[in-house]
Amino acid sequence: MTWPGPPHATSTDLLVLHALRCIGFAGLGRVAAAAGLPEPDVESELIDLAVAGLVSHAAGDFGGWGLTEAGRAVDAERIAGELETAGTRTVVAAAYDGFLVLNPELLDLCTAWQMRSVDGVVTLNDHSDPGYDARVLDRLTDLDRRAEAVCADLSAAMLRFRRYRVRLTDALASARSGALDDVTDSTASYHIVWFQLHEDLLATLGIPR
Amino acid sequence: MTWIHPLAAETEDSADVLGGQAHGLVDLLRLGLPVPPGFVIGTGACRAFLADGRLPDGLDVELAAAVDELEAATGRPPVLSVRSGGRESMPGMMTTILNLPVRQVEPAVVEVLSSWDTPRAQTYRELHGIPHHLGTAVTVQAMVFGNRDHHSGSGVAFSRNPNTGEHAPFGEVLFGRQGDDVVSGRSLTRPLHELADREPAVWAGLLDALHRVEDHYRDACHLEFTFEAGALWLLQVRPGRFAGDAAVRVATDLADEGAIGRGEALLRVSPRQLQHVRIPRIAPADEADVLARGLGACPGVAVGRVATTADNAARMAADGPVVLVRPATSPLDLHGLAAAAGVVTARGGPASHAAVVARAMGKPAVVGIADLTVDVAGAAVGAGGRTVPEGTRIAIDGTGGEVVVGSPRIVTTAAGPHLHRLLGWADEVSGGTPDRPEAERLAAAHAVLGHR
Repeated sequence: MTWPGPPHATSTDLLVLHALRCIGFAGLGRVAAAAGLPEPDVESELIDLAVAGLVSHAAGDFGGWGLTEAGRAVDAERIAGELETAGTRTVVAAAYDGFLVLNPELLDLCTAWQMRSVDGVVTLNDHSDPGYDARVLDRLTDLDRRAEAVCADLSAAMLRFRRYRVRLTDALASARSGALDDVTDSTASYHIVWFQLHEDLLATLGIPR
Repeated sequence: MTWIHPLAAETEDSADVLGGQAHGLVDLLRLGLPVPPGFVIGTGACRAFLADGRLPDGLDVELAAAVDELEAATGRPPVLSVRSGGRESMPGMMTTILNLPVRQVEPAVVEVLSSWDTPRAQTYRELHGIPHHLGTAVTVQAMVFGNRDHHSGSGVAFSRNPNTGEHAPFGEVLFGRQGDDVVSGRSLTRPLHELADREPAVWAGLLDALHRVEDHYRDACHLEFTFEAGALWLLQVRPGRFAGDAAVRVATDLADEGAIGRGEALLRVSPRQLQHVRIPRIAPADEADVLARGLGACPGVAVGRVATTADNAARMAADGPVVLVRPATSPLDLHGLAAAAGVVTARGGPASHAAVVARAMGKPAVVGIADLTVDVAGAAVGAGGRTVPEGTRIAIDGTGGEVVVGSPRIVTTAAGPHLHRLLGWADEVSGGTPDRPEAERLAAAHAVLGHR
């Protein structure tokens, strides 16, 4: 199902708040990458959100930005309101159904990337067999192609979903060019972006995990 | 009949035709064990269906005749199960339809055959090197009901303990419920031995069945069973497939019992299994205080204090290791998981977001504990009727899926004496000396045995 009208554009403050809602505790760079905005703009919004008590910052080596309880409640309310105002609930719900068809296969692929059955024994995949890894990546590429329709329908309804297509494409391209961490391990890996899209769809539709 | 094969002791077709699951059911029937009546649509019908996009000519007539025969055998219009199953097992990839009235059988067969070619099933075959042209068989059987009355239930039984290899029946039973509830982990199961008191006849029948299938396969076996109004029915049998130290112990014990030769015992354990033996496990001792059992999702043992939220885990980790315990995992939990030594989730399987993330971070993980509750406000977790406050020290085993209160003994060679004996036999075969790495000693024996 494709939304006929122009896509809904989310305000910058909600874009930043909701990015944090979907990716969890993160440094400025990751929030900016998820929101698709320049870091200084995101930092400025985060400071405003912190003043309003919706996000908080932890200092130190493992520091970063996180949502407060109030921030989570406000995000839920505003994201639900946005969905109703834009009238895009039906389109997003249909896309979520499409996502759920693909999700088990994506998890199978990630599991196959990490664990491998050899001689009937399941062991960690040590990535010493390029042929096996290539088979997993080929199937991931095929799944990514099938995920195109889901991403396109979401982006046609609401602009903020466009970032997932960009980030998934980046992760896959990077993995295919040899960055093995970008399948399941890195914070910008295919699985992590997919996991955040899953979280976003649940949060947007108000479905508890 | 061209396409359909009776589910009977006389059926001689191979697993290529019947699929692995139905072939096992024929084995059970030959051993005189109780299997619900039914028939098998061979893999040839699936290949014809995939080529032509419709059921092959004549299958409809055969199907009607086979259903009539089943109705005559059961003496009433049966409720049917329609299960997929090819030569190679593809767990969870294809469709199974339960509780089907007789008149719906043809569309159900079409649905099951179509499920061979879903993208997910294709992906599974690509990854496991299963040829796409094989096709699936379809097993149609009269349903038996584990939810019939208070003398009914279902479960899974192993002839030996799959975690340790110990020669004692092991498994789970769910009283008053259907088998799919056991497999899905939706319901709370009881240890298998509780059958002994509650349904002594079923227990005796099951012990007899485990004994007979072990004799037949000369290996540890796994049975899925249902008992309906006190009558035992077997739904699936599968030999072997134990991992790590359990595989070592079973092979060694079977040789000592005379079921197999020492050469065969050596060949039953791959050198890769020995790497598995080196993964730390919670010692399978009686004194270990088991809080809950789930599915191991990332191997290894983690010991730490219970944290019920990601924020708590991140904060508490400054004072020593923590284990994050959550209902499920969302991206909001990831910084807590990063700070934790291991993770436990109530929901999810070995292929869930939680499991993928835990493996990505190399953290031991246990998932899928049906009755695990996480009370964030009350700062406690509960399972099996017990409550454990946040901050309590627990240990989790990401291989066997145990969650244990306290700091149990951790071992890397539970199979110690058995492994020692097996490797001794390996040296006798290869003429080698024990001063080499274990996997090398076993591989040397395999090389000699492979050329005999």
